[in-house]
Amino acid sequence: MTSTLPKPAERQQTVPPARARRPKRLGQRGVGFFMALPPILLIALFVGFPIVLAFGFSIGLNGGLNHTIATIGQNVHESEGWWGTLAAYQEMFSNQRFLGDLLVTVIVTLVSTITVLFLALGIGLYLKLKGGRMARLLSGLAIVPLFIPVVIASWAILTFYSGTGFLRSVFAIVGLDFPVWAFTMVAVIIGSVWTSLPFAVLMVSSGLQSVPNAMIEAARDAGAGSLRTIVSVIIPMAAVPIIIATTFTAIGIVGSFTVPYFTGPNSPNMLGVDMSNYFSSFNQPQQSAVMAFTVFVIASGIAALYVWANFRSAKEQGKV
Amino acid sequence: MSNTPVSRARTASSTRRPPSLDSILRSALVGLFVILMLVFILGPLLWLGVRAFAGSWTFPNLLPDDWTLRWWQVVFNDGALSIAVQNSLFFAPLTVLVSAVICLPAAYAFARFDFPGRRLFLISLFATNAFPKMGLFVTLAALFYALNLMNSVLGILVVHVLGTVVFMTWIPAAAFAAVPRNLEEAARDAGASKLRVFASVTLPMALPGIIVAAVMSFLASFDEAQGTYLVGAPDFMTMPTQMYSLVLNYPTQVAAVFSILLAIPSVALMLAAHKHILGGQLAEGFQIK
Repeated sequence: MTSTLPKPAERQQTVPPARARRPKRLGQRGVGFFMALPPILLIALFVGFPIVLAFGFSIGLNGGLNHTIATIGQNVHESEGWWGTLAAYQEMFSNQRFLGDLLVTVIVTLVSTITVLFLALGIGLYLKLKGGRMARLLSGLAIVPLFIPVVIASWAILTFYSGTGFLRSVFAIVGLDFPVWAFTMVAVIIGSVWTSLPFAVLMVSSGLQSVPNAMIEAARDAGAGSLRTIVSVIIPMAAVPIIIATTFTAIGIVGSFTVPYFTGPNSPNMLGVDMSNYFSSFNQPQQSAVMAFTVFVIASGIAALYVWANFRSAKEQGKV
Repeated sequence: MSNTPVSRARTASSTRRPPSLDSILRSALVGLFVILMLVFILGPLLWLGVRAFAGSWTFPNLLPDDWTLRWWQVVFNDGALSIAVQNSLFFAPLTVLVSAVICLPAAYAFARFDFPGRRLFLISLFATNAFPKMGLFVTLAALFYALNLMNSVLGILVVHVLGTVVFMTWIPAAAFAAVPRNLEEAARDAGASKLRVFASVTLPMALPGIIVAAVMSFLASFDEAQGTYLVGAPDFMTMPTQMYSLVLNYPTQVAAVFSILLAIPSVALMLAAHKHILGGQLAEGFQIK
């Protein structure tokens, strides 16, 4: 699918005559702009605007549209002027429970993302270099979680690794004791890997498939071993899809709620669960907003990597 | 099950020379990996699936003591659960429709027109994914309180559509971009009107990408739990939000039956579109050009 031919979209942009042939270019640009506007407006209104609003709330600007939530919520810090106050941030960043949860979130994200990446690379490389029925079985298997709603997956994983779960049963039959992983961070990591695997495998193997076989053969002819070929030829050539897979996986996990909510312990748990607890159970929306922005800072760091990778690939193709 | 392909692969490679210890070891390692992956991926699903038909179950037996269909009756006779099914089947198609109306023209524009801010627009759509979903819903809550959208159909619809924008824009945009321009121009030269060219050349060729986007959007809406719960509960319970209370308030077997019901549409749709998804339509859409 992703062949070595230049993609039509690229061709269309790099060939200038098309521009000359179209006299209504300016009008078309306007049409394009307005056609693209609806989803942007939707996002601006229901993602961008609330984020700005919530940031104001998190620094104690409780007037205007924040009035309702500031009245309903408890333990709300209020700023004395337009410049805001960091009181809510100070409160949370001296809160041991929050700091523990932050650490857990970072660790789970790191471990799960690295595991997912290794599995996706392994499966993708096997599919590319060996092929055959076994490789197709593996990649097909890795796609299965895409078919399953996350709520069900979390619940299934919880019962599978519970005290009366499959692994415990198998080990008990042969007289061994297997640890209970349900309601521990191990189950959260397993669940995160399980749910993130399909997207990473699709992205990575699509990227690896588009590495021309001639390049691989050339490297082999030049005397490079398998490992050398993989590390210095195949992976660099598929770097952009690999980075996209990594960033989407990491961002998905860092903000995840359902998997840690079902399979994780009460405390410490990931910030997604904590956020919901502070918002609904403790009725402290401001503290919840502080957590949201903490996760956002982490996620936007990862997202910057994604944007950079995309621009780099665009630059390589001579479009920027 | 997983043994035959290993041995067959080995005999295929050993037609030229006898299998070395190295290659046997390698095949064994691959076989072990496949078995581990089978247990890791399918194990939890089978383990839960069996539960839907289980009477009592004694630890550490690998199968239940007796089989029953009692739990299915419990689910079908429970009013709250069937309302959740109805709500899910109401919101998911509506979400796909609304999302398509908003996003598909934009997808076409991203693929075919070069306008100021094009790349910035494409990437800013990504903000829905970069900001943690739970954090987003928490921030949305303030706005929804102010606009009186809490516990309303429109509020839930907004939450669901937000989750589909990236799929509905990026994937069809890549599909439109992949339609060769000279085909469209040839049709124009042959005298077809612009609309005709779009309807009989561009749209059919981009259809697989649009279908993948629609399937992913349907499932995103069908699976959406956190936002629906925050905005809609307890007035509007969908199947996934009902799962949250189900797990706490009903026997495990009922949750298992409900899980199977909830998985049926996903599996059916995915099987219908899996050729296109595996064919790269999804992966293609996530590389911004």
